[in-house]
Amino acid sequence: MAVITDVADALVAELNAASLSLPLTAARYYVPSFELQDMKDLHVSIVPKGVVITKSDRSRNTNDFQIDVAVQKKFETGDAAEIDPLVTLVEEIADFFRLRRLTAYPNAHWIKTEHAPIYAQEHWDELRQFTSVLTLTFRVVR
Amino acid sequence: MADLLETGSNWLQDQRKKHATREVTYRRGVDSVSVQATVGRTVFEQDDGSGVIIRTEVRDYLIDTADLVLAGQPALPERGDRIEETEGGKKFTYEVMPLGTEPHWRYSDPYRKTLRVHTKHIATEDV
Repeated sequence: MAVITDVADALVAELNAASLSLPLTAARYYVPSFELQDMKDLHVSIVPKGVVITKSDRSRNTNDFQIDVAVQKKFETGDAAEIDPLVTLVEEIADFFRLRRLTAYPNAHWIKTEHAPIYAQEHWDELRQFTSVLTLTFRVVR
Repeated sequence: MADLLETGSNWLQDQRKKHATREVTYRRGVDSVSVQATVGRTVFEQDDGSGVIIRTEVRDYLIDTADLVLAGQPALPERGDRIEETEGGKKFTYEVMPLGTEPHWRYSDPYRKTLRVHTKHIATEDV
């Protein structure tokens, strides 16, 4: 299997074993595609996004794998009481992976996390749904 | 002199209500009202640019402005309002939301007799 999918699967395993403020079940997708009516439940999607390959030494490359972690939930009112826990969860996920080496793929270690924007305004406005996407970068030298 | 266009438009809206509507429940929180509505239907996909696709059924409801009365007061649609249809032992719930660049509702005719309300399907339950 491709290394990026191995890394994504390791990330799924790590996240599902984590103790976070909201219970979640993450799953890996190539293209996460859901029905709005199913979004009342929290969805956490792991999506391999890209890789940047640079020279490491004479025989190996540095592979920086970008993996998206999408946190999504359809809200009722969109007030702070409903949304704050979701923003907190996203932050917890970002903190959880900081400096982490993936147990199921120990050659991969965390490099950086990008989180902009904090949530997708189009989904908020047009679907009344919270969607927040973290892009995690894990490095594998191979 | 009477505005012939307005008279014609009102006649058409009356015919629409008489011959092309079904009963739905318009709900806002604990308040609700049964109204006759004409249903339009589309299906589309939406992508937020991060590769996360949400599919949903979009429905427009045409409702007489005068019929939308909640808690005894004339009302206009608000985001988050619900429209419920019951059919074949199932209740289909649609939530009032904007559609693309359009707001969540607009008047459907120049004389403000009919509301066009944009909704998206959010739930199906057995009843």
